[in-house]
Amino acid sequence: MSYAETIDQAVTNCKQQTILMQRCLVQDKLMDALKHASVMLTELRSPLLSPKQYYELYISIYDSLSILSTYFVESHTKRHHLADLYELVQYAGNILPRLYLMITVGSAYLQSADAPREEIFKDMIEMCKGVQNPIRGLFLRYYLSQRTKQFFQADDSEAKKANVNFIITNFIEMNKLWVRLQHQGPLREREQRTRERKELKVLIGANLVRLSQIVEMDFELYRTEILPLILDQVVQCRDVVSQEYLLDVVCQVFPDEFHLGTLSDLLTTILKLNPAVPINKVVLTLVERLNGFVERNTDVEDLTRGLAFMSVEEGDKNLFFIFWKFLSQMSEERPDLSLQELAPVIRGILKLTLRWYPDNISNVDVLFKFMHEKCKDYGKAASEELDSLFHDLLLASEIKSDTAFFMKLLTECDAYEGLLSAQNLRLQKDCANEILDTLTYAEWRITSKAELEKILQVCGSLFKSTTEKASSSLMLDEESELDSGNWTFAPDQEKLAQLTHLCYNKSIDSHSELLLTCRNWFQQSGKNIIYHSPAILANYWKLIRRCQLRSKKKPETREKLHVTMKQLFKHASRIINDLYNACGAGCFDLLYKLNVQTASLADQCELSDIAYDFFSQAFTIFEESLSDSRIQFQAIVNMAQTLQKTRNLHTESYYETLITRCTLHGSKLLKKQDQCRAVYTCSHLWWATEISPLGEEEGVTESFFREGKRVLECLQRSLRVADSVMDNVQSCELMVEILDRCCYYYIHGDETSTHVGVKYINGLIELIRTNLDSSALEINPILGDGSKNTSDFTYIGIDGSYIYRNPASSVATVYNKATPSKAVHLESIPVEHFNRTLQYIRDQKDVDDRFKAINV
Amino acid sequence: MLLLALSDAHIPERAIDLPHKFKKLIGVPNKIEQVVLLGNCTKSYSFVKFVEHISSNIVVVRGEFDSKSLPSTKNAREEIPLSTIIKQGNFTIGCCNGYTVVPKSDPLALLTLARQLDVDIILWGGTHNVEAYTLEGKFFINPGTCTGAFSTDWPPSQDPEAEPDKKTDETGSFADAEPASAAAAAAAAVDETNEAETESDDEADTQSVSSFCLLDIQGSTCTLYIYTLVEGEVKVDKVVYNKS
Repeated sequence: MSYAETIDQAVTNCKQQTILMQRCLVQDKLMDALKHASVMLTELRSPLLSPKQYYELYISIYDSLSILSTYFVESHTKRHHLADLYELVQYAGNILPRLYLMITVGSAYLQSADAPREEIFKDMIEMCKGVQNPIRGLFLRYYLSQRTKQFFQADDSEAKKANVNFIITNFIEMNKLWVRLQHQGPLREREQRTRERKELKVLIGANLVRLSQIVEMDFELYRTEILPLILDQVVQCRDVVSQEYLLDVVCQVFPDEFHLGTLSDLLTTILKLNPAVPINKVVLTLVERLNGFVERNTDVEDLTRGLAFMSVEEGDKNLFFIFWKFLSQMSEERPDLSLQELAPVIRGILKLTLRWYPDNISNVDVLFKFMHEKCKDYGKAASEELDSLFHDLLLASEIKSDTAFFMKLLTECDAYEGLLSAQNLRLQKDCANEILDTLTYAEWRITSKAELEKILQVCGSLFKSTTEKASSSLMLDEESELDSGNWTFAPDQEKLAQLTHLCYNKSIDSHSELLLTCRNWFQQSGKNIIYHSPAILANYWKLIRRCQLRSKKKPETREKLHVTMKQLFKHASRIINDLYNACGAGCFDLLYKLNVQTASLADQCELSDIAYDFFSQAFTIFEESLSDSRIQFQAIVNMAQTLQKTRNLHTESYYETLITRCTLHGSKLLKKQDQCRAVYTCSHLWWATEISPLGEEEGVTESFFREGKRVLECLQRSLRVADSVMDNVQSCELMVEILDRCCYYYIHGDETSTHVGVKYINGLIELIRTNLDSSALEINPILGDGSKNTSDFTYIGIDGSYIYRNPASSVATVYNKATPSKAVHLESIPVEHFNRTLQYIRDQKDVDDRFKAINV
Repeated sequence: MLLLALSDAHIPERAIDLPHKFKKLIGVPNKIEQVVLLGNCTKSYSFVKFVEHISSNIVVVRGEFDSKSLPSTKNAREEIPLSTIIKQGNFTIGCCNGYTVVPKSDPLALLTLARQLDVDIILWGGTHNVEAYTLEGKFFINPGTCTGAFSTDWPPSQDPEAEPDKKTDETGSFADAEPASAAAAAAAAVDETNEAETESDDEADTQSVSSFCLLDIQGSTCTLYIYTLVEGEVKVDKVVYNKS
């Protein structure tokens, strides 16, 4: 008898023999049928097949033998007695076909009630030892287990035990064969062999699945009869593939309650494994199962019932304690474990404790401390893989998901910070960023100084700069960049700044203390305080506003709050000074605005002295440090806007001093057009308008600060400047803008109050007309009206910039200077603007009779 | 087309981020064609990234705390203008933060600006107070602050006597102002929240109402949607403006 060369041929042979066998069976020629079966089974002796192909063949043969088996059962005692047949097949020539046939007959015999069960079982499993070739043996035993699985439904415990023993014996033998498979053949094919073995793992695992089916919920049986034997085999085989796979299967197939009861045994086994087995995988699987137990058993009764499985001898039923014991034992017995292997184990145990003991910080602390110690032992050998492992550990989703717990961890768990600080700077920064993101996303309120300091400490890495360019030429670049007032994004610093918004305390003093703490910490980041100081200052503003509102609500506290507010303004001033000292040149414009806004806040709080101080401070910056002409212009106009909204500066004629100073600076700006615009804007400083939150109302409130005479003076002055501008387009445009201002005041009142009367407006209109007429001469006659196509428009913006509207784009382009290529149409700018203003005046005639006096 | 108007984010110096609910509403790419940032919106990396994610067509005007140029581009530093003009549909829209408009947010001063720029709609900011009204046939929109940032302007009156619809009177005393109901409603909402505050926790008092505006422009019709965050819920008001 021989076997086929290829798998296809083998399968074909097998099919042929099956047909022949079936034919014989129909004719009741049993001996011939057995012969065909035997020929077919010979194929299984082929050494040429890979495990996969062998499996394919096996499936096909299994089906054929099933036909035979059915025949055996059906004709039992009618044509033959299976006991005789069992004897008969012993005479098959070759051992492999013989054993297959024997199992087929034996399992058929087992179906009859009078069969000597135990003897047959015993005989079959004993006989299987005859095949020691790994693949053949494995499949033979798999065949045995498949054929016998239907007979394992036992009710009494004795029978159950016998069944369990049968399966375990088979399992142990199979595992031995499986391990031996690794050591067969040439050394260079080792890897391939490992791969092939992994393909066969299900055959062995099936035994454990079967065991889990029989054992049902019988924990005692599992604990005494099953697990020790399996674990023993696992440890003894010393094979990496086998150990990893089998422990995984044990964890997966048996109920999680069982694991609770046998946790120590499992963990002890893990320590005895071959050093090459990745411990973390096994631990993680186990943790997942245990956590699954908590998730499934949400109600308390189930939980206690499940916990009853944990044996009494484990003393306190603390899962974490068991794991902790395991961990310390492991660190003792396995000093070879690398951080890469340790970190995931810790991560697993962390997961476990967070699930089982969600509020227990000390468990987490212990774990982080352990990890920190290990980090120290191993020194710095940072790799990217390690970084991501530690990142996972420090910012595990289980930790972050509950912000309250996360905060508790950050503030109470010293080891957390310790472990974080043991990492490299880049990782520390990443983590700090994520910590801040988590806190700001949850809008967590930081109320105590201790809490805040802890967080600042954890985020300490963000204060340090990654690149060291202390004395390099780069420094110069940076300096000059800052000088020009440009802003560079710094996402890290941004987050630190946002941290200040999380500070909150009901008590104003405590809140102020929190802000000062931030300030002190941020000091160490040098120039970077340009990112934080405005945020701290804004929070002082808020505090001041809170005082202001409180004193309004409760007038009896007014005195006390007044003192507090003064103190707060001092802090605000200090913050601004810090910024000035650290960044100076880089942020004069910012400093100016911060002073102006603080001043307006002080005015609202009726603290005129303080307001005056801050305004003066702003003026000083303006005079000494703002050099860019456009920045100067908008700074003055912004000052005018702010001053116009003040109400409490009239003591000591602060207001007069300030507005005069503002107008004076306006009239001294570098460019004439800026002077003109600044001065007509400053005219509003003598014409207060209503501030509705204060209950003021135009036409009702009598006490507005208004000096029409000075308004007119400003307008006249700006007109003189406009007239002196040499560029006709600019000059006319400025005049039209002044005309617009005149209309504004004209609506606000008649000549007696505003001093801007009909005569003045008519005169101005005349003047503009004359000037436009003369400039009309300049219009290029060739381009003339024809060039005035409707597609291209140019306007002069609020600060005198040129705004080109191009039909090709939805957005206009803005230039600070007129560009020659587009200058052709500039003449039309004041003309069109003038026409629009005249049209406005005409329209006003319908609603306001006073306008009828204006000649359009 | 949809035009989103955001103003006065003041991140990180006064606020942490946009409200989560706003982010969910507008943080969808390819829905909004153009975004206008009306000042004080350029200092936060994450905010700028978020806006860029909404639309690549971003118009920026300078607020008092913005730098001279946009920080995003490394080379070719583009200066941020004080005011600019957008053309959408049959509308021309003037954009300006308004920190150089004197008197601040004065309707007549804004009208003067609208005339100077020859625009139908003025979008402005700086007040942290959402407003929308028509005056002399022109439409004035202030989207308020999109983050609810603190404002150094006079705080809204705590006095129960003060009318919540003060704005109506302010513009009403001039010409033909017709303030949008939304502005009044938003103002009313401010008062309500203030009244509801307990004394112990007065942080919200220092906060402005978060709001932004979305303009749907179709030919000569501009539909304005005003989104405000009132007591944690997003409220939407609609105002329609037709160009005559």
